[in-house]
Amino acid sequence: MSLETIKKKTKSLFLRVKSETVENEAFRNMLILTIKTYQDLTSLKKFLISLVGMMLFPIIFLSFETTIDYNSISVQHAAAAISIQIIFPMFFWTLGIAFICIIGTSGASLIAEEVHSGTMLILVSKPIRRIKIFLGKFLGLFLYGAVLSFCAVFLLGWIAVLRYSANLLHFFALMPFLLASYLYSLVLLLIFCSITLALSSIMDRPRNAALGVLFLVIFSFIGMMVLKMFIADYYEDYYLYHIDLGYHLSNIYISFLEAFNAIPLVAEWQQWFAMTTGVYETASPTDPDQDINPGGMIRTDYYLPIFSLLIWIGIAIGLLAYGLFSLKNREISV
Amino acid sequence: MIKKEKVTERKTDFKYEIWSNELQKIYGKKDKAFEAVKKINLRVEPGIHGFLGPNGAGKTTTMSMLVGAISITSGEAKIRNEDAGSVAARRLFGFLPQDPVFYNHMTGEDYLIYMGKLGGLHKTEARKRAQELCAYFDIFDDRVRPIGEYSGGMKQKIGIAAALIHKPKLLILDEPTANLDPIGRASIIEKIKEISKTVSVFVSSHILSEIEQMCDRVTMINNGEIVISDTLKNIKKKYIGNTYQLDTNKNQEILQSLEKKDYVQKAWIKEEDETVQVIPKDADRLQTEIPKLILDNKAIMYSFHIPEVSLQDIFMEVYALGGSKK
Ligand SMILES: Nc1ncnc2c1ncn2[C@@H]1O[C@H](COP(=O)(O)OP(=O)(O)O)[C@@H](O)[C@H]1O
Ligand SMILES: [Mg+2]
Repeated sequence: MSLETIKKKTKSLFLRVKSETVENEAFRNMLILTIKTYQDLTSLKKFLISLVGMMLFPIIFLSFETTIDYNSISVQHAAAAISIQIIFPMFFWTLGIAFICIIGTSGASLIAEEVHSGTMLILVSKPIRRIKIFLGKFLGLFLYGAVLSFCAVFLLGWIAVLRYSANLLHFFALMPFLLASYLYSLVLLLIFCSITLALSSIMDRPRNAALGVLFLVIFSFIGMMVLKMFIADYYEDYYLYHIDLGYHLSNIYISFLEAFNAIPLVAEWQQWFAMTTGVYETASPTDPDQDINPGGMIRTDYYLPIFSLLIWIGIAIGLLAYGLFSLKNREISV
Repeated sequence: MIKKEKVTERKTDFKYEIWSNELQKIYGKKDKAFEAVKKINLRVEPGIHGFLGPNGAGKTTTMSMLVGAISITSGEAKIRNEDAGSVAARRLFGFLPQDPVFYNHMTGEDYLIYMGKLGGLHKTEARKRAQELCAYFDIFDDRVRPIGEYSGGMKQKIGIAAALIHKPKLLILDEPTANLDPIGRASIIEKIKEISKTVSVFVSSHILSEIEQMCDRVTMINNGEIVISDTLKNIKKKYIGNTYQLDTNKNQEILQSLEKKDYVQKAWIKEEDETVQVIPKDADRLQTEIPKLILDNKAIMYSFHIPEVSLQDIFMEVYALGGSKK
């Protein structure tokens, strides 16, 4: 359209009072916010940096020497051996500390920043419910995380295959493990998008919301781990597992893997979890030189995995509701 | 009872674009509580209506309640028939906040499209309308630049365009000319006047001359209270009284003669310009007798008229009254 034709048409610009505005088709304008949020979060540079960040720790694990000749054993065995190499860094870092930190720092600003800077004022004066603003942004963050973890999980699987055997069949055989991990990452996302968005709509500064998430991650992944390593007795004596997010998450993750039959239950990887999360009995007798330890280590079973799942989904939904409520009642001014 | 009748009456005819009943805002709680808006009854009729008051009067607070950005402490407010703050009400107006903040990385056009879609337009329509509005506001060539690079005037234009994008019936503008240079002011005022021919406008300002240039009607607010609300014409008529102003080369002598006349109620010398001010008992006789009076005093007359009262004078008078009440 040229400027001239537009200018001619402009005469009628304000006369078309009879509005052609579509009635709010249920969730259309919410999805517009979702897309905008997703686009704002996703710049190629940031995305690549995030991916690289999520790979750092696993790559260290992958650099360990291995004695297995992957191409001489069956495809199933090879895939199992590969998954054993990457399960712990996957849980602890790629879908753990790194992923949650990325979600927390990206999402913390979504609402707090708009309120703080003043752009929210125009947004809330538009014909869109605040609930939809909140949920739209939540979904945008969720979508971003879902794409990111998808890329991270399958990229990590692919890198591991390249490292050990470079056999495409092994990558396919690794699918159940990768899918179960991805599914788990969606649960994790639900929990942390809720926490992040709730903090973002409660806090008046984006930085505080981000610090809130970072604190939670460091507390549950590193703080609890350190606690368990040095004063192991306290962990059970004081029922610390109740508040140990890391425990609940690994409880959920391992159950997903079991449900998918995605990894052999052997001490080789379980010991890492026992050491850091309390999901396995630390005292269980294992022989680290033994490759296959039938039955593996003993689950502590503080919580049924389904309860861990339900409790944290419940907490997530509760936080979502609280975030929604506080945004709904928030006084927006510059 | 009475309140209810009023509401039903309004439902049948849209008499008021904005209507409020005992609308109140208290910021903070307990000993920190501050009543920024004191149970005001707003009546904004179609057309362009000014909302005038000094800084801190409560204009922004009132508008924020009307658009649903902050909660209403008590009372009620309606946009046409819809409760202030409801989605239905928000569909009816477009809002430009005081000192609006935009997404600086977005281009003007993308921003307008985004706002249009949030307002319920489909993508193609939003784009078309965004371009039309950019052309209308003379920022067509700049629409592809990031808003962060815009001048203050351009930002204000984008802000008004964003308020108009979803085809509202009413524009609520909070100090649209603040922080602009004189040329920017003039061009925004011009646009607002033009727009007001088809869309009702409720515009706030602390600058009288602007409101005087734009508006037919004005509501003045001070310390959270409405002090006056009427057409500019009526306000002037009411406050003009019938004070005549006479200027000659012998004002003192003229004053002395005038004070003795039976058709004069009161006469005095105005300090600022030393002109004679006369309030007549009989205006016709005053007008016919003045030439004789001038002749008798052998004076030269410079002017004799009822001075145009500026809103400024009324403003000062109204606020002086308000101040003395306390
Ligand atoms: N968020 C707030 N908390 C407490 N007081 C406020 C707040 N916002 C405004 N005020 C006070 O309310 C009064 C009215 O402010 P405002 O509505 O911004 O006036 P105006 O827009 O007419 O300049 C001022 O005294 C101001 O200090
Ligand atoms: Mg103001």
